[in-house]
This record gives sequence, structure tokens and C-alpha cells, in this order.
Amino acid sequence: MADAVGTTPAGTMMGATAPAATVTWLAQAAVPRDITLAEWFTDPETWTGSNGIVASLGDTLLLVIAVILFSVLVSVPTAALLAHQRRAELASAWVVNIGRAIPTFAIAGLLVPVSLRAGYGFEPWPIFIALTLLTVPPMYLSTYTAVKQVDPAAVNAARAMGFTEREVLLTVELPLALTVIFTGIRVASVQVVATEPIRAFLGGDGLGRYVRDGIGQNNPTLVLGGAILIAVLAGITAVTFVAIEWLAKPPGVRRLAGGRTERTLSARKQLVET
Amino acid sequence: MVLATGAANPLLRWSYFVEQWDRIEEAIFQHVQLTLLAVAFGFVISAALAFLGMRYRWTITPITLFAAFLYTIPSVAFFGVLVSYLGLTLLTALIPLTAFTILILVTNILDGFSSVPASVREAADGMGLTPAQRLFTVEVPIAVPYIINGLRIATVTTVGLVTVAAIVGYGGLGRLILDGLRRTFWTPLTIGASLSILLALLFDLLFYALGAWLTPWARRRQAP
Repeated sequence: MADAVGTTPAGTMMGATAPAATVTWLAQAAVPRDITLAEWFTDPETWTGSNGIVASLGDTLLLVIAVILFSVLVSVPTAALLAHQRRAELASAWVVNIGRAIPTFAIAGLLVPVSLRAGYGFEPWPIFIALTLLTVPPMYLSTYTAVKQVDPAAVNAARAMGFTEREVLLTVELPLALTVIFTGIRVASVQVVATEPIRAFLGGDGLGRYVRDGIGQNNPTLVLGGAILIAVLAGITAVTFVAIEWLAKPPGVRRLAGGRTERTLSARKQLVET
Repeated sequence: MVLATGAANPLLRWSYFVEQWDRIEEAIFQHVQLTLLAVAFGFVISAALAFLGMRYRWTITPITLFAAFLYTIPSVAFFGVLVSYLGLTLLTALIPLTAFTILILVTNILDGFSSVPASVREAADGMGLTPAQRLFTVEVPIAVPYIINGLRIATVTTVGLVTVAAIVGYGGLGRLILDGLRRTFWTPLTIGASLSILLALLFDLLFYALGAWLTPWARRRQAP
């Protein structure tokens, strides 16, 4: 397989320029225009090295996981606590509206010079902050509504049994709200994976780099290959979250839950509509 | 690469507004144009899909699932796939922008019409209204707040996404952002990003006002 690729113009050109590839952009410029999609994907050089898919995927996953973890840690406890105490209801709606009005690319762009001047470079703070602003509102909203909508009878029963407020929140409200909270985390996470590739246009790399380099070099194959990689990762993310959701449910509930799609859709709709 | 810093490259050089006003004006115009075109096309498609859904109820689930699928396609990937087939054309920018509006618009239009109480519909029929009369004089006015809200969210979201269309050469203010990043020249970056955020807020306000103007009864009801 490697031999066959090596004899194509793609392989030889890549091999010839690889040693001189001190600048990232030049190494990428070595992808010839007449390469086919299959050749690009099967060429080992596409996958390895500092510009390879493996390294780019690592860059993307690292950022995405950091953003999701940070956003969950910030938004879920805050929203759960505020919803438990029935506080900041108006403020919650307002925060969510502001979040939607901020375009991720613009906000990350504005932060780039600030980050450079502070000595942190192009990456990763501007895109990290912009993606976090994108993620926190839906996570916050789903947690807030989920905890608020827990059956008051269950909460009052727990209180009557002598549960402290802390126990009510941790052992009654949160477990009952978990499904909806998780749906919010899933929707937000898929959004992050889908938006992260703009990072390649903000002085960073990650999986978006192939689309950027392909457009820069007027190479449709490279653009298409990069687009496929991004779309596949977003798809895998969505499927993984759905699988976790399904596995986390006890088998009895799983059999009962015929209306899952219905519920997921209405939760998604609610998130989209604000 | 030499990074110009400090006084030589401030975050915003005010004289740029005067010197490059033509460019800024063109960017604003293109931004508004792309936003309005995408939302208009998205609205026509969504209205047709919603009509189909109301006529044949079973189509609602596949329509919503398809719209949700479109909504979750990564923007860079969507633009990228189209670039490789259509090149750097207006269509390449417009198709994804339109597709992203459909989920928001379809769900809001459907919600609007399903908010019409069955009793109101029956009363309209009982008064002898034709289906067309019933639609335009009874159902549409009741659905208007939902539809306006959908248009409002879709428009604000699209203003943000148009900046990403700069990667295929049609980004309006996004082109100023991208140009600023490429040249590490902060003035166009700051102007492009700030104006696109302002534009989103402006559209948000406009649709809020439009909603209030189109549904005076909502205000009257709230007044004591």
C-alpha cells in the first residue's frame, strides 16, 4: 500500500519537500492539487508527523475536552444551586440571551490581540474563552430548568423525612434532573466540536487546518478531506454521547422510555429557542 | 514574522474609519445582505416544511430530525465541502447559512400554529370562514409572536455565522476579522468583530420592536 502511494506524484513530492519543512505552511504546500481523496487518506504522511491527522486530532480533542469539562464544572453546580434556591430566574434568562448574541468567531478574534499582548500567543486562550462562552449558556439553561422542574412532591417528601437542603439537592433533585442535564451537555458538546475548527483561522491548528490550507492552496481535495474529518468527529461525538446516555440508564427505565426521541427533540428545541 | 506591537499597531486606529470607509461600508452591506438573504430563503423553506408538517402530521418527526442534522453540521466542514464543488462563490456561503436557520424557524413556526387552540379553530369554521380566511385572519395572527421570535433568533445566529463565511471569501465584516488576523493588523480585526456584534444586537432590537408592533394586543393585555 505504502509502495503504491510512494510511486504516485503525491508521494514523491511529499518525500522531496519533507526534509525542508521547517515552516508548517510549506510542508502543507507540498500536497499536490491532482491528488485524489483516496490517495490523500491512504498516504501515511497524511496521518503522521506534526501536521498529520493524528496530531491535529489530538490538538482538537485536547481543547474540546478542556472546554467541556471547564464549562460543566462552572455551569452545572451554579445552575443547580441557583435553581434549588429558586434564585436568579430573570438573570438566568438574561445570561442565556446574551450568550446567543455573541458570535464565537468575532469574540475569539477580539481576544487574539489581547492574548498576544499579554504574552500568551495566538493560542489557546482566545478560542478557549470563546468556546466556553458558547457552551456555558445551554448547559446552564438545561441544568436550571431540569432542577426547577423536579416534582415538588418528591422534594417535599425528602424534606419531611428530615433531609437537609444539601441532601435534597444532591440525592433527590440532581438524580431526577440528570437526564435533561446530560442532554444539555451533549447538545453543547456537539456544538463545541462543530465550532472548534474555526481555530485554524485564528492562528491555531487542530482538525480545521486542512480546510484552511486547502482553501489557501486552492486544493479542493484537501478541503474536502478536512471537511470530512471534522464532520466525522462531530458525528462520533453525538453518537458517543447518545450511547453513554443509553448505557447510563437502568435497563428497566430503558425499556420504559419509548418517548426518548420525543423528549430529546423537545429538549433540543428548548435549547435552540432559548 | 515580525509582530508589530504597541503604538505602531494599536487595537483600534480611529483614522482607519476615514481612510478605509469604503471597505467598511462594503463589508457592512455584504454582511447585512448575506444575513437577510439566508434568513429569507430559510424562512421560505421552513414555511413550506411547516405547511407540509401541518398537512401530514407524520412528516414532522423526519422534518425536525433532518433540520437538526443540518444544524449540527460543523460550519467549517459545510463551507469546505461546498468550496470543493462550487468554488469560492456566493452560493457556497449562502447554502450553509440558509441551512443553519431551518431548525430554528421550522420549530418556531410549528409551535406557533400548534398554539392555536382547537376551540378557536372550530369557532372560525363555525363562523363560516374558508380555510384560507381562517389561516390568514385567525391562525397566522396567533402564531406571529412565535414566528417573530424564530426570525429573531435565526437572524442573530446568522449574523454570527456570516463572519465564518469569510473563510470562503464572502464574510462581510468577517473578512475584516480574517484580514486583520492574517496581517496581524488589529484595527480591521477590532472593527470587524465589534461591528458584527453590534449588528447582532441591532437585529435583536429590531425584531423585538417588530414583534411589539405586530402584536399590539399582547401589550394591551399586559397593561392593567
